[in-house]
Amino acid sequence: ALLAGSRLLKGYRGGHVVIRFALGGCTNRPFFRIVAAHSRRARDGKYLEQLGCLDPLPNAHGEKVAGLNLERLRHWLGCGAQLSRPAEKLLGLAGFLPLHPMTVTGAERLRRRARELAAPPAAGLPGAGD
Amino acid sequence: KATRKAIEEAKEKLIMPPVLNEREPIDDVLAEDKFLEGTETTKYVFTDLTYSIPHRERFIVVREPNGVLRKATWEERDRMIQIFFPKEGRRVIPPVVFKDEHLVTVFQQDRHEDILNMCIAQFEPDSPDYIRVHHRTYDDIEKHAKYDLLRSTRHFGGMVWYLVNRKKTDGLLTDMIHRDLLDDATSLITLYHMLHPECQSAKEAKERKLQGVDLIKVFVKTESQKEGYIQLALQAYEEAMATSTAS
Repeated sequence: ALLAGSRLLKGYRGGHVVIRFALGGCTNRPFFRIVAAHSRRARDGKYLEQLGCLDPLPNAHGEKVAGLNLERLRHWLGCGAQLSRPAEKLLGLAGFLPLHPMTVTGAERLRRRARELAAPPAAGLPGAGD
Repeated sequence: KATRKAIEEAKEKLIMPPVLNEREPIDDVLAEDKFLEGTETTKYVFTDLTYSIPHRERFIVVREPNGVLRKATWEERDRMIQIFFPKEGRRVIPPVVFKDEHLVTVFQQDRHEDILNMCIAQFEPDSPDYIRVHHRTYDDIEKHAKYDLLRSTRHFGGMVWYLVNRKKTDGLLTDMIHRDLLDDATSLITLYHMLHPECQSAKEAKERKLQGVDLIKVFVKTESQKEGYIQLALQAYEEAMATSTAS
């Protein structure tokens, strides 16, 4: 009995609390839970507290539904938890944290790529027509 | 003791549901980030899941694909709150029964009370859908004089308030006199006077301090459109009273 008990309480060396997404759901149907857990734990394993959820697929009204327990989030951030990059981006989108710089960079890169895709065909066609 | 408890519970069930004005649409933009345009194709709806906040003060925020961060509209708010904090008797998407063409079918089946109960469970008291369904029900009842369907329910108060505000009280008055409910008729007319103190019958009633049948007669002469019906009903009632007191 003692052995079984000591197996369940896992002890770590180092590691800290992170707030990250835990993936769940079925095949071709992801569902993220926003979770406060130790950084050394498995992604979907035992967590300290669930702070919300995110449904990455749009629903019948064309929205992606996300819930955030802001009061507990503030508690864990006050306790010194770190955030994963997608969690930071999501909170930036929500308005709880300032916008993540990578979101801005991603938007600029998308726009540059769209411009390059539009410009070379236009430049290539007159060039090939010669 | 058990009867006392039963009476208290029954009184609780008879409490009139609130009558409020229509709510204003929410239109608040929190942030505009134009350079986010094109990164996403769908809206993101963020709901605050803190347990100890009343639903009215919850933060529900929408990030549009064009980068605008705005507060959610009332319909979105109701939907999200129902998804995360489900209430019994409510559906996430309001049932199809509440559309006008289906309300007609419900009224033909005489199920006004059921639909009003469903409406109270589904919508907030100040939502335009709630108000529209209630007004439709009251109009239909008044058109077909089916006042008896709502008489002992908690919706009776709301119906009376609606009719008195629009001065359509004649059918209700005739119905009450036919059923010999003179106390109800007098209270209806006193309510009318309280709401429209500038009308002639109210001034006359205040001058002469009328009671009972006289009040009804003055009201009928000055205000109502269907004077003939009400006079006939009053005469029949007085004859019945005379015969019963004589015998």
